[in-house]
Amino acid sequence: MDKKKGTDGTEPGPAPSRAVDRFGFIKPEQGNSPDGIPKGKSIHEREREERRIRKWRKMIGVGGNDWKHYVRRNPHVVKRRIRKGIPDCLRGLVWQLISGSRDLLLMNPGVYETLVIYETSASELEIIRDISRTFPSHIFFQQRHGPGQRSLYNILKAYSVYDRDVGYVQGMGFLAGLLLLYMSEEDAFWLLVALLKGAVHAPMEGLYQAGLPLVQQYLSQFEKLVIELMPKLGQHFVEEMINPSMYASQWFITVFSYSFPFHLTLRVWDVFLYEGIKVVFQVGLALLRLCHDDLVKLPFEKLLYALRNFPEEATDPDVLLPLAFSFKVSSRLEELQKEYQKRQEGTSETSSGERLQPLVSKTMSRVGSRVVSNLTTADRK
Amino acid sequence: MSGRRPATWDQAADDYDYLFKVVLVGDSGVGKSNLLSRFTRNAFSLDSKSTIGVEFATRTIQVDGKTIKAQIWDTAGQERYRAITSAYYRGAAGALLVYDVTRADTFESAARWLRELRDHADGRGAAVMLVGNKTDLARSGSRSRHHHPRAVPRGDAAALAEREGLSFVETSALDATNVDAAFETLLTEIYRAVSRKALAASSAGDDAGAVGEGQAIQVSASDSAGLTTRCCAF
Repeated sequence: MDKKKGTDGTEPGPAPSRAVDRFGFIKPEQGNSPDGIPKGKSIHEREREERRIRKWRKMIGVGGNDWKHYVRRNPHVVKRRIRKGIPDCLRGLVWQLISGSRDLLLMNPGVYETLVIYETSASELEIIRDISRTFPSHIFFQQRHGPGQRSLYNILKAYSVYDRDVGYVQGMGFLAGLLLLYMSEEDAFWLLVALLKGAVHAPMEGLYQAGLPLVQQYLSQFEKLVIELMPKLGQHFVEEMINPSMYASQWFITVFSYSFPFHLTLRVWDVFLYEGIKVVFQVGLALLRLCHDDLVKLPFEKLLYALRNFPEEATDPDVLLPLAFSFKVSSRLEELQKEYQKRQEGTSETSSGERLQPLVSKTMSRVGSRVVSNLTTADRK
Repeated sequence: MSGRRPATWDQAADDYDYLFKVVLVGDSGVGKSNLLSRFTRNAFSLDSKSTIGVEFATRTIQVDGKTIKAQIWDTAGQERYRAITSAYYRGAAGALLVYDVTRADTFESAARWLRELRDHADGRGAAVMLVGNKTDLARSGSRSRHHHPRAVPRGDAAALAEREGLSFVETSALDATNVDAAFETLLTEIYRAVSRKALAASSAGDDAGAVGEGQAIQVSASDSAGLTTRCCAF
């Protein structure tokens, strides 16, 4: 199921009192629509979009059967097409294919249902309180106890049982909520597992573990990259006492799903699921580069405001993403990770950015999971 | 305290006499972000997002004829986020410790938050105000979506504040009750403490405005009369 819920009429929900954009978000009463897309598409644009969809359908095959074969034969074509953006009607299915979550789902029949129905979580009250504070302006999540809120609760509760060490952390809801707009509850759960446990890329669970070790590592790496790649801005940040935790924590914790225009978030996620966490660094650097000349002139308060409110032209994916991909950061990130981990040695905090952690958590053995770790591969460069 | 005005982004950097750093702490969901938006932008949202990491806003008020700029940091309340947020307590001149009057567990956490503040902020030098938020929910016939019984008696909170040497107020960010008063009381308390220190230092013959070593609030005044005293609580 790869349609967006709440916009296709299949899920009951409240009649929206205000107009919604094409993604299901309530439009602000004034100004441009937040999806950044002109209202009507020309015939030429529609035809081009249909051609794209046909190409993609051919590439993935019925139900995704041809996907792995195509990726093996034409990896560069796949990468290029993903960077251009996955057609919205196929997004849910393609996300499952590129994240490895499809395999997890097939290898673990009935596990999700067990987690939702038969297990209890220490985080249940916390999750309930946060449900209405996750994508509050999206019609799918607005109805109190409605289908959107119920599904979001189920996924977050299930994950908090699946991995009791991580449990539930604010921010996870934005990942799960985004996934729910494009796939079923169970599919979204396994994609969340694939991300946090590292089915294809480095595990992300360290973003949410006690001490947020991976957040700290990524912020440290990002700070160094800014200084190296934009020394003038890096120096300005030092002088104004701006550190990345003031503006970039949300970028990493929610992979740009917290406060960025949704059309940009989706394009970032297309690439992030295929290429890994380096994309968050690249997009962050591109945002700073695009606004560089303004940022270097601003004093502390205005600077902080600007770093949380990027102008519309800077968040246009067709401008931002090509610039992001021009930053070649993979090998430097690995070096910075090693340096960071060396600095951390001897302290009680250990980094959780290890590549080949087993996918199965201790708690999962109780529910008979057959999650296997042979899906793990090195990050694509 | 008349003549209050919100700070704007166009305001000149030097358009204040004192700059105080204030942090908002308390359990998740108690209303910290809405207290901040009500004070700095006079805005409230029933549909606000949970805070991830930290948020930041400022407002300028007048105290005893001086222009005080509050630089307010709103922190994520969930325990796990303390790894990031505790760094923001450092050097804070004051804090609002917020709980929800309809949730006893958020009040029970107050002692832990206080310990956290005293460990990371300016020791016992930081002014702390205990704030019981969401009084609108505990009132029958309120404008809010749902009525909840009060879970924290006012007397219990007042007793804790008395015992720990905190100011105390109950607020509603939704209907704006006591929100300005809470921030203004805290900022006034910080300002008066700074003024007392400055006065004591100058009467002892030190540089005017000098503060004891190790203090987070540094007050440096020019020795020439009429020049602006600047305080930056960082």
